[in-house]
Amino acid sequence: MKLVPLELRLPRRSGSLRAQVEAALLVHGRPLRWAITGVESQAGQPAELLCVEAVLIAHGDGVAGSEDPSA
Amino acid sequence: MSAAPLPTLLVIPTGIGCAIGGYAGDALPSARLLAAASGCLITHPNVMNGAALYWSDPRIHYVEGWGLDRFAAGALALRPVRRQRVGLLLDAGIEEELRLRHLQVADGCRATLGLEIGPVVSTDVPLDVSLELGSSGASWGRLGRPDALLRAGERLRAAGATAIAVVARFPEDPESEALAAYRGGSGVDVLAGAEAVISHLLCDHLGIPCAHAPALSPLPPNPALDPRAAGEELGTTFLPCVLVGLSRAPDLLAWPPSPAAVTAGVGEWLRPEAIGAVVTPAGALGGAAVLACAERGVPVITVANPCVLQVSAEALGLEVLAASSYAEAAGLVLALREGIAPASLARPLPSLLAV
Repeated sequence: MKLVPLELRLPRRSGSLRAQVEAALLVHGRPLRWAITGVESQAGQPAELLCVEAVLIAHGDGVAGSEDPSA
Repeated sequence: MSAAPLPTLLVIPTGIGCAIGGYAGDALPSARLLAAASGCLITHPNVMNGAALYWSDPRIHYVEGWGLDRFAAGALALRPVRRQRVGLLLDAGIEEELRLRHLQVADGCRATLGLEIGPVVSTDVPLDVSLELGSSGASWGRLGRPDALLRAGERLRAAGATAIAVVARFPEDPESEALAAYRGGSGVDVLAGAEAVISHLLCDHLGIPCAHAPALSPLPPNPALDPRAAGEELGTTFLPCVLVGLSRAPDLLAWPPSPAAVTAGVGEWLRPEAIGAVVTPAGALGGAAVLACAERGVPVITVANPCVLQVSAEALGLEVLAASSYAEAAGLVLALREGIAPASLARPLPSLLAV
């Protein structure tokens, strides 16, 4: 088991913000602590980006670092 | 006669440089005021911990952030207790002299405050704490050996501890600009994020109240020390406030309760559906507890309390009651407690519209 820091940028969708953040984090590990730390507009895109910083609990080879799914 | 208490959450996220609550327990006066206004305040160690300084108020419930998030989400209830038996978990990376200081603080709290503390367990290897800053400027951190923390916690729980105070050796850089800024009252607490990770991890694993104090060597006196940081420079450890806070921290219990718990009685439990308001900095609405409350229809009171984040109600599309200070927020909490519509307290008061 190890603790993995992760930064994500998620296109904002309708519905529960908490649920969409936790679902996105679960792909990488079990969220231990997280927060939306920014909301950014995307040029030419209707959806805003949620900037999320988190620490996850990962078993085996966790993925650390940053990820930008809009890229 | 006062109205019934209105259970209120006070959230001031740690490690984001809040002007109030970003230092050494400097949100405690605000917490005391909100406790008086609400009659029941649930808040977390970052608000209450002033190292050698603390305040014990039966209306204030000390709940680490992991439990607070789940309470807000409706997954935990809180059971007030007369006392906890606080186990002391020491990082094997703490030097002998510093370790002795912590043991003597625990003895002092037993002798002078009457707290039940023990047993004491050391990790089998150093925890290897590291500090980090996120892109936002918020402090984070991690442990090289989380497994050692959890093993030690399991030993304490098996030995009868009902709550755990953790002391981890933190890295030091007494010449750093970040530390100078913090002591001068203008920076982020770079230790705070790692502290929260440690206590969250232990609470998550054991399901009992836990909180953390960093072990650090004393700093030389600084004549320009900001009053908000002064609580951390009065003694040789940050442990007294943690022991006092945990000594009456409520038990964390699964919600909805099991049939066995219902049979035993849940009448005294603080239930998540009883939460009447959450108070939080206006720029820090993106945490799990505040979002859970907003999604459950709990009134969110935002307070002008500058920090490094700008995650506002407008940015997230949340409806909130805005206050310019914690004193104003206390007035709003009191209004909610007394059943007074907050909108009726402001002018202009628009006419009703037919739907």
